Amino acid sequence: MSAATTHRVPTHALTTAHIAPDARLTFPRILRSEWIKLTSLRSTAWSLAMIVLTGVGLSLLLAATMDSAGLPDGPSVGFALSTVTLGVMFGQIIAAVLGVLAISGEYSTGMIHSTLTAVPTRLPVLAAKSVVLFALVTLVGLATLLGSWAGTYPMFAAEGIAVGLTEPGFLLAVLGAAVYLGLTAVFALGIGTVLRSAAGGVATVLGVILGLPLFLPLAALAFDWVVDVAPYLFTSAGESMASIPADLPAGAEAERGAPLAPWLGGVVVLVWTGVSLALAGLSLRRRDA
Amino acid sequence: MIHARGLTKRYGTRTAVDGIDFTVEPGRVTGFLGPNGAGKSTTMRMIVGLDRPTAGTVTVGGHPYRSSAAPLREVGVLLDAKAVHSGRTAYKHLLAMGATHGIGKERVREVIGMTGLESVAGKRVKGFSLGMGQRLGIAAALLGDPGILILDEPVNGLDPEGVRWVRTLVRGLAAEGRTVLLSSHLMSEMAQTADQLIVLGRGRILEDAPVGDVISRTNGTTVRVRTNDLGRLAALVAGDGVTVNREADGSATLSGVTPERIGDSAAAAGLPIYELTVVSGSLEDAYLTLTADEVEYRSTAAEEIAR
Repeated sequence: MSAATTHRVPTHALTTAHIAPDARLTFPRILRSEWIKLTSLRSTAWSLAMIVLTGVGLSLLLAATMDSAGLPDGPSVGFALSTVTLGVMFGQIIAAVLGVLAISGEYSTGMIHSTLTAVPTRLPVLAAKSVVLFALVTLVGLATLLGSWAGTYPMFAAEGIAVGLTEPGFLLAVLGAAVYLGLTAVFALGIGTVLRSAAGGVATVLGVILGLPLFLPLAALAFDWVVDVAPYLFTSAGESMASIPADLPAGAEAERGAPLAPWLGGVVVLVWTGVSLALAGLSLRRRDA
Repeated sequence: MIHARGLTKRYGTRTAVDGIDFTVEPGRVTGFLGPNGAGKSTTMRMIVGLDRPTAGTVTVGGHPYRSSAAPLREVGVLLDAKAVHSGRTAYKHLLAMGATHGIGKERVREVIGMTGLESVAGKRVKGFSLGMGQRLGIAAALLGDPGILILDEPVNGLDPEGVRWVRTLVRGLAAEGRTVLLSSHLMSEMAQTADQLIVLGRGRILEDAPVGDVISRTNGTTVRVRTNDLGRLAALVAGDGVTVNREADGSATLSGVTPERIGDSAAAAGLPIYELTVVSGSLEDAYLTLTADEVEYRSTAAEEIAR
C-alpha cells in the first residue's frame, strides 16, 4: 500500500531544468527540428550522395562518348543542357524515395507519435518537412548540375562546343532542373503522408513520374485527347522546366503535345506538388495518428 | 490536471472507450489499470490528441492538448517505447524533439543524465534493448519539465533496479506537485507507486478511488483472530453479516466486524486474545476480482496477461 512506502524526492532537481522561459512552439523552431531529423539519418546522406555521384557520373560518361552520337557544329545550349541534366532522370527517383521516407519512416518506427505530441496541430510539421526537403534536395541538385557542367566543360572545350554559365537560358534551365528535383521530393512527401508506407508511397510516386510517361503514348493510340494531356504530366512538365524556351517563328502555333514553356512547366509541377500536399494535410489532420 | 467528460472512442462498431468521466489530480500518482484492450492506451492517446474522440472531451490543464502553445512544457508522454526513429541516435532524437520548443542541448544532456543514458546517447536507437528504449522514452517525456506526465507501462522491460528507479522518480514527480497518470500490469508495483486508481474494463470505469479503498472495498476487510475459546468469541461478536471461518492452524478469519469491536468484546468478557490482525488482501486480488466481472473479457485477459 502506498501509505506504507517512504517517498524520497529524486536527487536530480527537475525544477532547475535548463529550459528557457520562452520555450514554446514556433515555426522556425519546428523547421530546425525537422532539419535535425532529416540530417541525422544515414539514409539521407546516402541518398544525397547518390544524387551527386550518379548525376555527375552519368554526365561525364555521356560527354566522354559524345562524338559517337554526333556533335553540333558549334556551341549549343540545348546540346550542353542535355548532357548536364542527364542525371536528373535518375536523381528524381532518389529524391522521390527520400521524400516518401521522410514521413513513412516516422510511421513505420512509431516516431510519428513523438512528432505529433510535440506539435499537436500537425500541419506545421508537414510544412516544415516540405521546406527542409525542398531546400536540401534543390541545393544538392544544383551542386550536382554545376558539378556536371564543370566536369564536362574541358571535354566540351576540346571539341570547341563549350557553353558558359552566362549563355542565355542556360543557368535558368539548370536552376529549373534543380528546383524540379526539390519539388519531386516534396511531391513524394505528400504521397507518403497519405499512404503512410514506404512501399506504397514509392510505388505510387514512381508510377506517376516514370509509369505515366510510359503508359501515355500507348493510351494516345486509343484516345486522341491524351496527346494534349501529355505535356502536363509531372515528368514532362519537369523536363520543360529544365529546357530553354523553344524558338517559334513569329505567329506560328506550337504543335499538339509540344513541351510547355519552362515557366508553365514550373507552374504545372507546382500544381502537382500542391495537390499532393493538400491531400497530405487533409489526411494528417483528419486521421488518428 | 487531466479532465475527461463523456470521453468516447469507437472504431467501426467496436467501442474502445465508452463515455468515461474522470479527473486526474495533481500532487499524486494515479494508476491506470485494466486488462489489455480495456481502453487505457486509447484514452491516453486521446489525452494528447493522437486519436480524436468520437464523442466527449478531454482537457489538460483546462484546455484541449492541441491548443497548447508549449505542449512539451505541459505534458510529457511515454506511450510506447518505440516512438523513436530507429536510425537516429538517442541524443539527436531528443535534440530534434526539444528543438520544436527551443529546448536546447543543456536540457537534452540533463535528461540523458537523469535517465542514465550517457553511455548510449550517441548510439543509434536500432541497437537499444527494451529497457534502454524505455529510459529514452522517459527522457523524452521529461524533456520539457512538464507539469503533467502520462506514462504507459514505463517499467516494461526494466530490470529491478530500473523498476525501483521509475518508482522513485514517479513518486518524486508527484511530490513536486505534478500530475502523474501511470499504467502498468505489475500490480505489486502499482500498489507501491500509486495513490489513486482508475480501473477500466471494456471501455468503462470500474473503479476510481484511492488504492486502499479499492483494495478493501473489493476484497472486503477481514480480521484474523486467535484466542483460546473461539466459540465464545463468535457468540460475543455475532450479528448481521458477521461470518467466522475456522482456519486449519486454530485461528479464525472474521469478516463484517471491526477489530475494535472484537477487541472490546473480548476484553469485556475477559477472553484472552493472542492475535488480532487486519487482512486487507493484495491489489492483485482486488484487480482480478474487479476485472473478472467483465465476463466476456475473462479468457482474453487471462491469456494476454500470461503472454
